[in-house]
Amino acid sequence: MHIDCTQFENVLADLDRPGTQGAALRESALAHAESCSRCADLLNESESLDFSLRSLAAHDANREAPARVEAAVLQRFRQEKGFAARRKLRWQFSILGAAAAALLALGLALHHGSPPSQGPAASSSGADESDNAAAFTLLPYADDPATVNEGAVVRVVLSSSALASLGVPVTNLADTDRIPADLVVSADGTPQAIRLVSQVN
Amino acid sequence: MIRATDLTEQGLLRRITAGDEEAFTFLYRRKHPAIYRFALHMSGNPAMAEDVTQEVFLTLIRDAKRFDPARGTLGAFLFGVTRNHLRKRWEQEGRSVPLPEDETDLSSLVSRNGAPSSNGSGAGHAWDAFDSLETTGRVRQAIASLPENYREVVILCELEEMDYEEAATALDCPVGTVRSRLHRARALLLEKLRETHRPAVPRPSAASK
Repeated sequence: MHIDCTQFENVLADLDRPGTQGAALRESALAHAESCSRCADLLNESESLDFSLRSLAAHDANREAPARVEAAVLQRFRQEKGFAARRKLRWQFSILGAAAAALLALGLALHHGSPPSQGPAASSSGADESDNAAAFTLLPYADDPATVNEGAVVRVVLSSSALASLGVPVTNLADTDRIPADLVVSADGTPQAIRLVSQVN
Repeated sequence: MIRATDLTEQGLLRRITAGDEEAFTFLYRRKHPAIYRFALHMSGNPAMAEDVTQEVFLTLIRDAKRFDPARGTLGAFLFGVTRNHLRKRWEQEGRSVPLPEDETDLSSLVSRNGAPSSNGSGAGHAWDAFDSLETTGRVRQAIASLPENYREVVILCELEEMDYEEAATALDCPVGTVRSRLHRARALLLEKLRETHRPAVPRPSAASK
């Protein structure tokens, strides 16, 4: 393929650049330069420039940043990634803790034979979460069974006679015995259900 | 576990994001010389080149996810980040005129290439070294005097031997722009080198290529 001076100048800088039109036309360009003194001079100059640039690239080939730059960058890497790793570990521990607590609650509930959702939802007393795991017994005069799931829970200490007055069967207890219990009370303060703390613990 | 040396750039980046120091060190050692040289040629200032190199890799530590392999190579991405940091530094500090480094320390180069002996048998080595020094010094100076957008294409496409596509990614411009800038930059370099007293380089014949 024959090329003219304009085409030659257009591809001159790319003759040694793989994948370019210049590389594809290299043989044609060299053939043109042999028959055109002006383009031969241009080719000479271009090759001289290539040589100079390659010399500079070779001269600088082993040039790199001082070791202190690597040290500083690595130090920052350790700081950044160490912080990120610690944050991730803390998050993982939190998740693990929450899972362990849930499993413990579930285990206690199963151990006591009733699921935790059967206990009252609200709690205003010193009764802790594990106390909710045991079922409440409706008192004989309870007028609002729904309160068992909605009423406030109050922890009290009752005498055996007081228990009897609430309708709870009492056996093998002396009059002076004091029994801790959780009472579910309705909005007007009327006891609706009872659970002996000894059943929970 | 696969060694860092056997990983692709993407694999390395995944490991770096996960905090693998070996992967990061490997990548730094493989990529930083070209980044440093680019920053040095662009700024003419070794201290700035060091700072910018450091900033580039800190950017990679903090934000490796910014690299999108669909848009080009990691090398091109890092050159692009380098360019941005250089521009930021120039804006902050006021652009300094690049000063080519001193290339006249002949003794150090001669000692690297083999010291001339007292009977003069090393004279050829010394002259070669001087010639080489003068050539690289003049070319370095000519590159440093180019406008920024020409300088960067010369450094990437000629000194770092990037292809046009990769350079276009690094410079965030079309391939045609890289090509036309490089052609113009080469013409400017030839003009500058012609102006100097001695011929820039020994001129090989056209048939030698």
